[in-house]
Amino acid sequence: MRTRFHLIHIVTGVLIAVFLSIHIVRLHLDDILDSNDPNSWESMIHRATDGMWAALYIALLAVALYHALYGLRGIILELTPSARAGRVTTWCLVAIGIAAFGWGTYVPIHLLSS
Amino acid sequence: MRQREHRQNYLGARGWVWAGRYQMERHLYVLHRVTGLGLLLFGIIHLIITTFFRMGDKDTWESAISVVHNPVLKVGAYLVVAAFIFHALNGLRLILQEFGFALGRPIPPIYPYKDALRKKRRLAVILIAVIAILAVVFLYDFAAGGG
Repeated sequence: MRTRFHLIHIVTGVLIAVFLSIHIVRLHLDDILDSNDPNSWESMIHRATDGMWAALYIALLAVALYHALYGLRGIILELTPSARAGRVTTWCLVAIGIAAFGWGTYVPIHLLSS
Repeated sequence: MRQREHRQNYLGARGWVWAGRYQMERHLYVLHRVTGLGLLLFGIIHLIITTFFRMGDKDTWESAISVVHNPVLKVGAYLVVAAFIFHALNGLRLILQEFGFALGRPIPPIYPYKDALRKKRRLAVILIAVIAILAVVFLYDFAAGGG
């Protein structure tokens, strides 16, 4: 089971490399690509209401949260706390991840429907 | 047969941010950890800030963007991008090595030995070069006035 979590860590890492590259190239290479200003309100609303961009961002949020929090868990568990402290850490990070994913998907979707 | 003792982790928790007298890969490991924690911190801040400013209207958004475009925060944003480039490509190196790619075929140990670290070294150097090139490309765009 542990190796399976590690395998998911690797797969999510590759997915982040793809998704976040799209995000960063669009948001930061606007001068080289000679595209319109990605930081303007209109540009942001366009991405938020476009199905593909919204799906990309929600997928990115999910895989990035898993990858980041699993990595953080590995670092915290290196401090070799007791098994009980390790379990508490794990479930705290799971709660943080679910809360952050709920917040990060609820706000854009709620605003789009209003 | 005598059990060979494992080398002790002399650096302890200090080894999280300091590579000591170990070789290049240990420095990459330290950087991977530091950039990973930095990206996690940035990601949480980014999520909170963008959702809160997204809740406002157009004026709130544009005033927030003008704050983000001040020189100090632009340097910070560039560091985040550079950290991502490093973390992604070093992660690619770790994945390739974990699955045994780019290490060559197993060979008999004949002097001078070609140990795994020496076989991995070329891949590490190539990836550092790619990281440097990408970092310069993004530096150009940040210097050209992009966000």
